[in-house]
Amino acid sequence: MNKERIINIALAGNANVGKSAIFNQLTGLSQVVGNWPGKTVEKAEGTLFFQGYKIHIIDLPGIYSLSTFSIEEIIAREYIAIEKPDIIINVIDASNLERNLYFTIQLLELQVPMIIALNQMDFATKKGIKIDIEKLSKILGVPVIPTVAIKGEGIKELLSKVIDVIEKKIELKPLKIKYGKEIEVNIEKLENIINEKLPEICRKYLSRWISIKLIEKDDDIIKKIQEYENGREVLAYSEKVIEELEKIHGESSIIIIASERYGIANRIAKEVTKIITPPKVSIEERLSEITTHKILGYPILFFVIFSIFSIVFIGGNFLSEILENFFEGILIPIINELLIFLPQIFSKIIIEGIISGIIAGITIALPYIIPFYIILAILEDSGYIPRAAFLMDNIMHKIGLHGKAFIPLLLGYGCNVPACIGCRIMETERERFLAAFVTVLIPCSARTVIILGLVGKYIGLHAALSLYFFDLILIFILGRIAFKALPGEPIGLIMEMPPYKLPLIKNIIIKTWVRTKDFIYIAFPLIIGGSTILEALILTGWIWPINNFIAPLIVNWLGLPKITGIPLIFGILRKELTLILLSELTGTLEFNNILTPIQMIVFSIVTMIYVPCIATIAVLKKEFNLKKAIGIVIIDIFLALLIGGLIFRILSLFF
Amino acid sequence: MSEKINELIPEILEIIKTLENKNEEIKLNEIAKELKVSIKDIEKAIDIAIKDGLIKKINNSLKLTEKGLEITQYHREKYLHEKIHHSFLNSIAKIFEGKIKDWRKHWHYKHGMDDESLNEFYKEIKSLEGRIEDALPLTDLHQGEKGIIVFIFGGKGAVRRLAEMGLTPGTEIKIVKEAPFHGPVEICVRGTFLAIGRGMASKIFIKKVKENE
Repeated sequence: MNKERIINIALAGNANVGKSAIFNQLTGLSQVVGNWPGKTVEKAEGTLFFQGYKIHIIDLPGIYSLSTFSIEEIIAREYIAIEKPDIIINVIDASNLERNLYFTIQLLELQVPMIIALNQMDFATKKGIKIDIEKLSKILGVPVIPTVAIKGEGIKELLSKVIDVIEKKIELKPLKIKYGKEIEVNIEKLENIINEKLPEICRKYLSRWISIKLIEKDDDIIKKIQEYENGREVLAYSEKVIEELEKIHGESSIIIIASERYGIANRIAKEVTKIITPPKVSIEERLSEITTHKILGYPILFFVIFSIFSIVFIGGNFLSEILENFFEGILIPIINELLIFLPQIFSKIIIEGIISGIIAGITIALPYIIPFYIILAILEDSGYIPRAAFLMDNIMHKIGLHGKAFIPLLLGYGCNVPACIGCRIMETERERFLAAFVTVLIPCSARTVIILGLVGKYIGLHAALSLYFFDLILIFILGRIAFKALPGEPIGLIMEMPPYKLPLIKNIIIKTWVRTKDFIYIAFPLIIGGSTILEALILTGWIWPINNFIAPLIVNWLGLPKITGIPLIFGILRKELTLILLSELTGTLEFNNILTPIQMIVFSIVTMIYVPCIATIAVLKKEFNLKKAIGIVIIDIFLALLIGGLIFRILSLFF
Repeated sequence: MSEKINELIPEILEIIKTLENKNEEIKLNEIAKELKVSIKDIEKAIDIAIKDGLIKKINNSLKLTEKGLEITQYHREKYLHEKIHHSFLNSIAKIFEGKIKDWRKHWHYKHGMDDESLNEFYKEIKSLEGRIEDALPLTDLHQGEKGIIVFIFGGKGAVRRLAEMGLTPGTEIKIVKEAPFHGPVEICVRGTFLAIGRGMASKIFIKKVKENE
């Protein structure tokens, strides 16, 4: 047998059930993490070899349902329905059977080959829950394998069961989900009509599944059916069916179907579980109690944030400086020597442009991004993020976001780059974008250097602080405007509070590594390209016409000296460059000789608001898309100029 | 005195409507018991209601007229409006609102509900069994208290999301914790712990369950 036998497996299940742990056990460091095409959702894939098979595994996002509420759900559903993996491993949480079976039922309805990994068996035992695995397997008609993923228990058995199913040694007899009588009658009627009118769509999806989705008022399926000529007829009929059902039940059909499914899940769960010992209050529960306590919760939150700041920014600064000294002091002179044979203009472009770009990337990525990724992974895996969001929800609502947005916003004060990555903890694309939009307005540590170095030093700390306060008001107003302006239904906070878990070092290392790799691929080309182009502009002298071109804006509208144009342009590379360049260009460190107090304030405000640096733009492009990244950049430049000019005029009236 | 009786009318209408839906006999003494007033007051209120054309007598039984149904609906909407969570700005706006004439418009413009959500909402409150006053928003319950979901009021997306997380009508929920500063509520439903934002929690209407029941 020369032909390679390939199996495609998809892991599916709720969030917080240990799906990633199973995935990590299966694939280890061989996994590749990227984003789903055009989406802000992490896509993890990996390959392994087992019993002569090449097994390709994809970790679908953790979801609670196969409707189309969140991007994750759409991705998972499309993948299962269209890509048709050879087998699905449905990971379910043994300690929370009913809610997990709700999702299993929906997978069964898709009639895809599947087996079940009954995970967190240890946790269930600790909670005093005993599950009759054989019975569960018999009821569902698919193999159920008990696992403790974090310890690697049951993983081998899981794989051999997969092979058994693929080799047809085990026959799957998946449970047929039956709804109430009046619903079944209507599903059947709808099915007949769909089979008759839309044979094309039935080749892609099961007609019974489409019927149920239509009764559930699934926007995505409705949209798909509308595309067909006969679609309107089917939809008109389904509306009639829905009306009839809603009349009988006095409830939205969405709720009718959800209730029925939960009814089934509840019956199955009851039949197979036995509670042996009444659950005792565990340490995890007590920890949860304290960290969401109405008084104690806040100092703890403060302490956690303070620690993150210390580690990422103080530690990062320290590392960054060492790296910078190494590069500037040792590496650059060596490269200089090596490039001596080149004409000076080229060697300068290579050194000041390409090499400096790489250095900028490394001195940002290594010291700040990696520690941040480690901390983010710990926070994610331990279960603290939902607790912090719980405490901060109300305050975040004031700017149209909910509790989880607190984390990226806060990180923004350190560095916008990890903060934008942190926005992926929000559920919907709308909220992610909204959070990123306000995050980039937060003055990061580089901008703090400018505010303190100009306004703080020459005018006073009170003026610097009032700039921060002004920024908060701006964020508040813009957040509200964006909240109203962005299309889509704003959904409040609905978040599972998973039990606390000790994060696994292996998982954290894997997560950090794959994310860092992804960051380097995306951000480095942009940073290096950007710095090379700017350097070339200086060396060719083209920077001067550009400066002259923007001079009217700088001088007439913002009231700043003409020379400040160049530092403002270069700030895009790294914000702290603006001050360095200003002193280089004017030949002085005494900024009060070249700028009036009003000019300092205007200069600081413009720097604070206009586009985040190129690394942030790179991350925005990675997390969203180029269009959205450019959109944010344009809005921010426009805002910075508008507000800068207005502030200049208002302050000139008084002083 | 007559003020009190006037206030009774919408509540009596509601009870009559519910009994009518269930095809049950309408007994005045039971209505009086439920509303905790005397039978005399009930009789008086019903007389006024008949005079105003809110109820009609058919074969010795009472039936709501079109106008009576409208009053019931208005009463229900007013109750819900009072109960759902208002932001600070909304609370100020509420002072100047006065009597709302067109609820549909009000929900649409002031609460941002689209047509589809509104249709769902009206179906829901029309078919509601029992008095609206029995339904309390989740936010009115305190730590440790339990309740059964009566209905959820809100946009299609939110209703779907909540239903999928197991919050369907008839499900029991327990309040585990309330966050300070009017923050979210942590609940236990079907064995899972969920945090729900205050705005959304105030739209989940539940019937309180007494501990000893």
